[in-house]
Amino acid sequence: MKKKKLSPSVCFSYIFLTILSVMCVFPLLWLLVSAFKSSGEMLANPTSFFPREWTLENFKTVLFTLNFTVNIKNSLIVALITTVIATTVSALAAYGIIRFFPKLGDIMTKLLITTYMFPSIMLVIPYAVVMRTIHLTNSRVGLVLVYMSFSVPYAVWMLVGFFKTVPIAIEESGRIDGANRFQVFTTLVLPLVRPGLVSTAIYVFINAWNEFLYALLLISSSSKQTLSVAVKTLEGADILNWGSMMAASAIVVLPSIIFFCLIQNKIAGGLADGAVK
Amino acid sequence: MNLNRRLRNNSGGINGSNTTRWFFVLPALAIVICLLIYPLMSTLVYSFTNKTMTKTTFKVIGLANYISVLKDPAFFSAFGHSLLWTAGSVLGQVIVGFIGALSLNQVKNKKIQNVFRICAIIPWAFPAIATAMVWKWMLNGIYGFIPTSLVNLGLTNEMLQFLSTSQLVMPTLMFINVWFGAPMILVNVFAALQTIPQDQYEAAQIDGASSRQSFLYITAPHIRTVVGLLVVLRTVWVFNNFDMIYMITAGGPAGASSTMPLYIYDTGWTGMMVGKASAASMLLLMFLILLCVLYFLVIRRWEKED
Repeated sequence: MKKKKLSPSVCFSYIFLTILSVMCVFPLLWLLVSAFKSSGEMLANPTSFFPREWTLENFKTVLFTLNFTVNIKNSLIVALITTVIATTVSALAAYGIIRFFPKLGDIMTKLLITTYMFPSIMLVIPYAVVMRTIHLTNSRVGLVLVYMSFSVPYAVWMLVGFFKTVPIAIEESGRIDGANRFQVFTTLVLPLVRPGLVSTAIYVFINAWNEFLYALLLISSSSKQTLSVAVKTLEGADILNWGSMMAASAIVVLPSIIFFCLIQNKIAGGLADGAVK
Repeated sequence: MNLNRRLRNNSGGINGSNTTRWFFVLPALAIVICLLIYPLMSTLVYSFTNKTMTKTTFKVIGLANYISVLKDPAFFSAFGHSLLWTAGSVLGQVIVGFIGALSLNQVKNKKIQNVFRICAIIPWAFPAIATAMVWKWMLNGIYGFIPTSLVNLGLTNEMLQFLSTSQLVMPTLMFINVWFGAPMILVNVFAALQTIPQDQYEAAQIDGASSRQSFLYITAPHIRTVVGLLVVLRTVWVFNNFDMIYMITAGGPAGASSTMPLYIYDTGWTGMMVGKASAASMLLLMFLILLCVLYFLVIRRWEKED
């Protein structure tokens, strides 16, 4: 073992990372501990970290009195259906681009990714107008439809990178064995890109779960509202209870955090792989 | 390539190559046309009309909307806030993310490195609504952790009203956005740093290069394309971001944090002036396209040099 020498730059690195980590983690911890504090305690002692008495009162209020179970259900349904449809459509498209339109493929994916520039506040006005004419305002079906606008381009872009890695020889052997195009796709190609499909699906799910603007402007009745918007409407209550607000926020944040921790090794690659040829 | 062609020819015959080909891409194509191209076109059309949210009939009024937007002081104030918000947030995110990634690269112990990395990812996993609410609570002017702590530590005499003082609101929002966005830069730059072959550094060391020189001539050229692309993506995202500011301040106090998306929202939804909001949207999009073209020209030059 070499003798450890702490150079100033290594020292600085540790100090910087420690401060950064504390700043990154603190809001999450503060959110969680606040969710377990009684409202009296929150107001009497704004800087004490741990609750003197842990209480589930805030969660009970949010879930049962304020009926957040309905909004959780809405968010889950919308995000899950979006994930299934967007991943299917995008997997077909990504494979089609790679195999059938190899020359156009590069331009197609580039065009897809330019749609990232369209501000959602611009898109939402035409959506609202069209939804009104086809009677899909205030409907979760309409919301899922609209969510395709940001899920599909991104998912295709991600999946193209994964499909590129599938060796064509495998497909050829399948074709020789008499399988048709679609059978080759489902039985030979899809299993090979399963990791890619999983990370794409997770991305789509999280984005749909977190979405706010479209849900806010296209859904009007609270029984159909998604979780993010329901949390925001808590602010409109006569007496804003920060305890319930933090409990509600904890419910929104947890699925996301859990997913991110599960895939944290993969998200490192994602963009860098796509960017560096 | 050859195999590819043979396979494609194979798919003719029984399947009918054209039908199969379109079967794969058609659903996605339909989504892009109906949900992205069509709204873009209709925004363009609306921007030349007097359409409102409530009426179904409307007529063409030429450039009147554009003129009315360009005469609106609120538009320029929002545009200025947007520039400040974007430049400040992206710069902050890149600086913090970049230093973080370089620091993380210095940590040789894999376990410690992983702990730091997971901690740094956490803000990235925050949904916008949770980010907004936890910061609003921490910055709350009466019971918030941060103003109270500042008073307790004797740094300020009174409770700072971060979100309702017009001089403080933009810096505070940008700080929150840096908190939220730096992790994404950090993780991606760190991944790019890992792809640099270590022997280049060793060779440079043997040649007597200082660590500053190693950074300038080995590290920087290797990762600048990734960083460039990240900056483009972040710029677009931050510029278009509506959620965070809407949830935290809704553009207040008195428009002090109103950015372009907030301006379009106020005009189109609250004010019901679809035509005018569409004109503002088109101006916003044109500005973004111009910005992206400039960015990509720079990145392409880098790519050629590599």
